[in-house]
Amino acid sequence: MEFRELLKTPGPVILDGGMGTMLQAKGLKLGEHPELAALAHPDWLLDIHRAYVEAGTQILCANTFGANREKLRRTGKTVEEVIPPSIAIAKEAAQGKALVALDLGPIGQLLEPTGTLDFETAVDIFAQEVRCAVSAGADLVMIETMTDLQECRAALLAVKENSDLPVLVSMTYEERGRTFLGHSPACAALTLEGMGADAIGVNCSLGPREMPALVEELTRWTTLPISVKPNAGLPDPGGAGYDITADQFAAAMADLTELGVKCYGGCCGTTPEYISKMCAALEGRTIREIPRSVPAAVCSPVQAVPIDRVRVIGERINPTGKKRMKEALLRDDVDFMLSQALEQTQAGADILDVNVGLPEIDEAGMMVKVVKALQGVTDAPLQLDSTRPEVLEKALRVYCGKAIVNSVNGDEETLDAILPLVKKYGAAVVGLTLDKNGIPKTALDRLDIARRIMNRAVNYGIRKEDVYIDCLTLTVSAEQAAASQTLEALSRVKKELGLKTVLGVSNISFGLPARPLVNQNFLTMAMTMGLDLPIINPNLEAMMAAVRCYHLLMNIDADARDYIAAYANAAVSTSITAGAGAAQSAAPAGERTLEQIVIAGLKGEAPAATRRLLETMDSMGVVDGVLIPALDKVGADFEAGKVFLPQLIQAAGAAQAAFEVIRGRLSAQPGGERVVKAPIVLATVKGDIHDIGKNIVKVLLENYGYPVIDLGKDVEPAAVAEAAKKHGAPLVGLSALMTTTLGSMEQTIRLLREEQVPCKVVVGGAVLTADYARKIGADFYARDAKESVDVARQVIG
Amino acid sequence: MIKVTQLNIDEVLRYMGCPPEKADGFLRAQVEACARELLGTVRPRWSWRTVEIALEEGGVRLAGGLLLPGEDLKAHLTGCGRAVVFCATLGAEVDALIRRAERLDMGRALTLDCCASAAVEEVCDQIEGELQGEFPGCSFPFRYSPGYGDLPLEVQGPLLDLLDAPRRVGLCATQTHLLTPRKSVTAILGVAEGDIEQTKRSCLGCPAQGSCQYRKAGGHCGIS
Repeated sequence: MEFRELLKTPGPVILDGGMGTMLQAKGLKLGEHPELAALAHPDWLLDIHRAYVEAGTQILCANTFGANREKLRRTGKTVEEVIPPSIAIAKEAAQGKALVALDLGPIGQLLEPTGTLDFETAVDIFAQEVRCAVSAGADLVMIETMTDLQECRAALLAVKENSDLPVLVSMTYEERGRTFLGHSPACAALTLEGMGADAIGVNCSLGPREMPALVEELTRWTTLPISVKPNAGLPDPGGAGYDITADQFAAAMADLTELGVKCYGGCCGTTPEYISKMCAALEGRTIREIPRSVPAAVCSPVQAVPIDRVRVIGERINPTGKKRMKEALLRDDVDFMLSQALEQTQAGADILDVNVGLPEIDEAGMMVKVVKALQGVTDAPLQLDSTRPEVLEKALRVYCGKAIVNSVNGDEETLDAILPLVKKYGAAVVGLTLDKNGIPKTALDRLDIARRIMNRAVNYGIRKEDVYIDCLTLTVSAEQAAASQTLEALSRVKKELGLKTVLGVSNISFGLPARPLVNQNFLTMAMTMGLDLPIINPNLEAMMAAVRCYHLLMNIDADARDYIAAYANAAVSTSITAGAGAAQSAAPAGERTLEQIVIAGLKGEAPAATRRLLETMDSMGVVDGVLIPALDKVGADFEAGKVFLPQLIQAAGAAQAAFEVIRGRLSAQPGGERVVKAPIVLATVKGDIHDIGKNIVKVLLENYGYPVIDLGKDVEPAAVAEAAKKHGAPLVGLSALMTTTLGSMEQTIRLLREEQVPCKVVVGGAVLTADYARKIGADFYARDAKESVDVARQVIG
Repeated sequence: MIKVTQLNIDEVLRYMGCPPEKADGFLRAQVEACARELLGTVRPRWSWRTVEIALEEGGVRLAGGLLLPGEDLKAHLTGCGRAVVFCATLGAEVDALIRRAERLDMGRALTLDCCASAAVEEVCDQIEGELQGEFPGCSFPFRYSPGYGDLPLEVQGPLLDLLDAPRRVGLCATQTHLLTPRKSVTAILGVAEGDIEQTKRSCLGCPAQGSCQYRKAGGHCGIS
């Protein structure tokens, strides 16, 4: 019987037990590669598989857990040499009495952002294993022991794109109910079911007694069959073994039938005896059928956001009408978008819309870069916003979790181009109630389009809960009758179709005075009509206040907890805009000059002092007459050993806050821009992941008005050369912290010279010396962040 | 049970490049606040294994076959018949905390990063204490890590494999042999029956050697 049919039978599905511990018992030596057992000890492997079949196993895992090209590299064997015999031996043992699974374990290197392995490389590594297993005749794939949801996604995508095999996906959690990386069962369930896993579950790490809490969480977020494959209890950190016996294991496993678990097996420390006793204990038990209903929800790897109340989508990461954002996109300045993201989540956004569409840039490339960077710093789920299917697909591939796609509309072409992507990557989708004929005037016509979108989505296999309808806000100053139609359409979509609703709110007031008044009231009206997902600027307190008040008044905010948390100390909470600490400093802010504030590093006081100064001085006067001299003073004190790195960075942070005020002032004036200096490209070299030093240098250079193109860490030499050429940077700064990565610093410099990129190179980092810098061909060595500013002044002016 | 409840603030200040006596109340308060925040995020995990060792031409051979090449570790383990190999990590969420801080406030980011460096040292000290308790009557030269002396970073991967570290504690090495999550350590603790001559961990065996930021400034990192 095939795996998918087996899942439909009423009884339990029996998996196998531990392999590594069994091989050690057979005589595998410490340090010997267990992946090579099919080549070195085929008889042992056959014995172990046979013992599991005799114990009652219906699905054998072939000994391929670590048979990926990265792990095999040290053994001198290839995936093609290892996987086919491993599967053949399992099939020989199975004799048709059990199915044989390709076992896919972790690659053994962490993916970005914690590690350096790129997502597409991970997909490719798994794809090679899958293709090998398909030709060797595997019956299914078991992805297991994963601690990173993104690696899980890479493996699942590789299976889906290279085979039709059924697939069971299992992750490993700690006692706190999270993986090592902090990923949760809820997020795993939402993401993996969306991407088409046939069953999901838990394996390794813990014993059977720790399983119930994890299983219960999974069942709240998935309708898929659940698999459980725990260790023989908790491991000893010294490698001495596991703490429960086969009888205890069997009894604890049998109790899981009460929670509706479908697949039962064992991981480290379990043996055929454990599986045999477990089979006996399961005999006569019926798996309890518990009806499950999974709410509409989206997620990142660590945060599931059910749409069970109004959830705010932050609209700020979008260049439309935002000069500063456009500048950032043109300069590849991803940092600006990250700060926008953090500002919005701090203000209360639950989900962030991400739109990077500008005609002058490579939208797909930028989208991938921004999505990856955002997921490195924020736990909020993202709404991927583009009109181009190819951009959406690239973003969906790298997005870890369940995203929202913004958007489709009633136009057939759009539906056919985008809905298959929504299905493949397991996302939710926004449907705009418009089509080729434009936006219908009446609520009824918009409801019709909404129904059409819903039906098409369901035909593509997308859950109804994952379709969110946008009834479209029109500007009330242009069409006063339109607002009531939007609200009526929204209400009917909610009631008659039972779909979640989304609405961009801010457009309503365009062209009117006192826009916040109109926006806030329209938002409140829309929420009472059933709006679930307002797309707003959460930094505007009035808008967040409307949402909090709605939750309070509708009895959604139990005991007014959120409301009180937000407003109990309203005076205090609204003034906390800068870092803590600054607020407690001694004298009242009014008495300090901006220069003193920068020198003292009081970031919290800098914006107000800057605004005061701008009342009597022009922007350039403040920059050249106050900020730069203050920074120079701190820099000189740093060189003289009177102040130290922390004070230097604090001063830079305070100056940065002042520059933000000035920048805002300048971009509000037509044609008023600070004179832009030539840009500097910064990178931590290939192979190195320590980039805090480089980031400190960046802040200082920006203080002095140099636009910085920050390429991040682990940067290929070619990427440095390309950026220097693209932006015409006269100076490139390279950082390395380890002696082992100095080689790639040298390679990068060599490439810049070979390609005759007209730039100077400055290098820095803990292990560098002036002599070594000269030896590898750098033009300058900067001992610290201050010296890199001196170099920039010398090269650029 | 390994649990870090406080950090040595002076040590953190030294890592930050500020002599402790030059730090004002404001800076100390910031370090203390960051230390509290960091300790709320740290989840120390560790794994260890005892192995027989043989000192041979070219380095130290662990039972099972792994050779730790170089002369320095070999000299360091003279008199030891066994060693404990261990690894420890503060976890990936510490990396995420620092990454987030870098986008908002570099001063805080630097402080958190240095607090994490101090925390991982503290974790290793506690582990070493526990491990020494496993071998009553034995003596131990200081713990030794890849990158010290001539012990290359290339051994990180095989050491992690030996400890089943990716699976047990979520600790991996990159292709360039750096540990991820970043605030992690692998180490070898020699175990000698009876007394051995104790050496101090010193600048001579340190991987930073001639280019150490503290030595360049005429100071010392404080580890001894």
